[in-house]
Amino acid sequence: MIKIVSGQSIPVGSTVALANLCNQFHSRGHECTFFGPDRWHLDKCRSAPLSDFRPGNGDIVIAHGIRLRSVADLDDPGTLAGPSRDGGWRRALEDRIFNIGASRGKPDAFRLVLTRSGDDPVRAGRPAFSLFHKIHFSCEAQRDRRASRHPHFVCPDFVRDLKKPLARPERVAGVIGSVRPENRLEISIEKALQDGMESVIVYGYLLDPVYFYSNIAPFAKKYPGRIRFAGFVDDPQKMYDSVSDVYRCAAKPWSAVKRECILTGTRYHGPDSPETEEAACNDSIYDVWKNELAL
Amino acid sequence: MKSFVEDFYRLVSLLKRREPFAFNRFSDGELFILQNKELILGDNLVKIGDKVMKGHYRKEDFKHFHPDEHSFYRDRLVDAFRYTAKNYFKGISCRCCAGEADFRWQLDFHGRHDENFTWANLFLNGNYGRFIREMYPLFNGYRTVIVCNENSDVTTLPFICKDFRVGYNAMVNDYGLIDTMKRWIDENGIRGHLFMFSASAFSKMAIHQLYRHCDANTYIDIGTTLNAFTGMRLDRSYLKAFWLGAKHKDIDKICIW
Repeated sequence: MIKIVSGQSIPVGSTVALANLCNQFHSRGHECTFFGPDRWHLDKCRSAPLSDFRPGNGDIVIAHGIRLRSVADLDDPGTLAGPSRDGGWRRALEDRIFNIGASRGKPDAFRLVLTRSGDDPVRAGRPAFSLFHKIHFSCEAQRDRRASRHPHFVCPDFVRDLKKPLARPERVAGVIGSVRPENRLEISIEKALQDGMESVIVYGYLLDPVYFYSNIAPFAKKYPGRIRFAGFVDDPQKMYDSVSDVYRCAAKPWSAVKRECILTGTRYHGPDSPETEEAACNDSIYDVWKNELAL
Repeated sequence: MKSFVEDFYRLVSLLKRREPFAFNRFSDGELFILQNKELILGDNLVKIGDKVMKGHYRKEDFKHFHPDEHSFYRDRLVDAFRYTAKNYFKGISCRCCAGEADFRWQLDFHGRHDENFTWANLFLNGNYGRFIREMYPLFNGYRTVIVCNENSDVTTLPFICKDFRVGYNAMVNDYGLIDTMKRWIDENGIRGHLFMFSASAFSKMAIHQLYRHCDANTYIDIGTTLNAFTGMRLDRSYLKAFWLGAKHKDIDKICIW
């Protein structure tokens, strides 16, 4: 069985990518479950709370956002559960792994794969790469030198099933991305308005409310009636249907937004990603995973 | 054992399923009115019963309930408090915030137990982050009607299709708006909509009467929760803690029953 386990399952890009990964494996006949400490993922794919996670013999465990330092006895998942935002359960996991896995080597009973999909909004930190049988990167830009010394592969995230809408509004910009300083949403909003967009809708999970209130909310007073805040919307088709253009300023080439804009025929204004990654279809992405995991 | 967090997710689940419900909140202001105490929230003045103290309320929060003059409105509030129906949830002041005596008073005043009792603070304190991050985005899935102060800027909320405005002491001065809204619902065949109320004690009477009138819509009292989006003041401690990063224990508080 394939088990995806993540240090967070709030609706940010990496969680969406992991839920897609789980759904893709499942739809192609592989038993797969996504375990996470939050609730968002629970109705998005075959999933379970993190407290239910336990690796079994022969499993493939795909880990994300966990700063593993050693492989541990994971037979008592109850101790893994707890407050997720302050990293309580993660620390418990790390400590137990560190104490029990004295060899700090790769596990024998199951295969352990690290995915660096997306970025790390909860700042889990760098894991001990030597623990993993393989490391997955979503794009070349993610492949750091230290991790690249270990067995690894590069493969874009699966894309969601999106279509071009029959009709869409004119000059309505979507600024898409989790609300936090790294995504520089304020620059995207300004650029959209300078380009003549009549209104801007901000779509994204509110990670940093203080950043939002000091940097984003003031636009509503500066441009009355032209700025709207939607939060993270579960249905990406509805989101793309509601805008004519998408603006992004975050220099994160692994984001799926550009590829989703291509699928939905939405004009995209933001950082480029390599054409090879843009062109990858889900079948070819699956072929890479199948090969790398020997499915 | 009732759970502050699980009760919140119960409403989230109803919204996701698009199952209509009403969430009405009876917090401290309504508690004093139910107790038939004179209540004045004014400019530098707060009066609760015989107690007078300095206040910090803004014009949009000004309120005056006089037991003799306003008994009609108190009776309507009592109706809203004692009403029991499927999916009509009543949030009351909890013992950890209002104290044991007032908590008990509410239960005694209500009479028989209602399984739909919950917390007036269900969207606040330790649940506020969940409300903003997990419930607020669900409003995008609804055609949403808002009832709020005349000074609120609702253009920032992408899901609003209609707004009704109230002013000072809306419970008394805008009471007629409830009938106006009933007519609007009937004449336009409004079904499956979400109605959000940020209109103090007026909200309680309106939510009760509108849900009785048409329970095919969802009615929720959002209080001050969306002030950061609507250009209203962040003068509640939970708002300051969440949006301004001010240190205050309320933002982590998980209320008890």
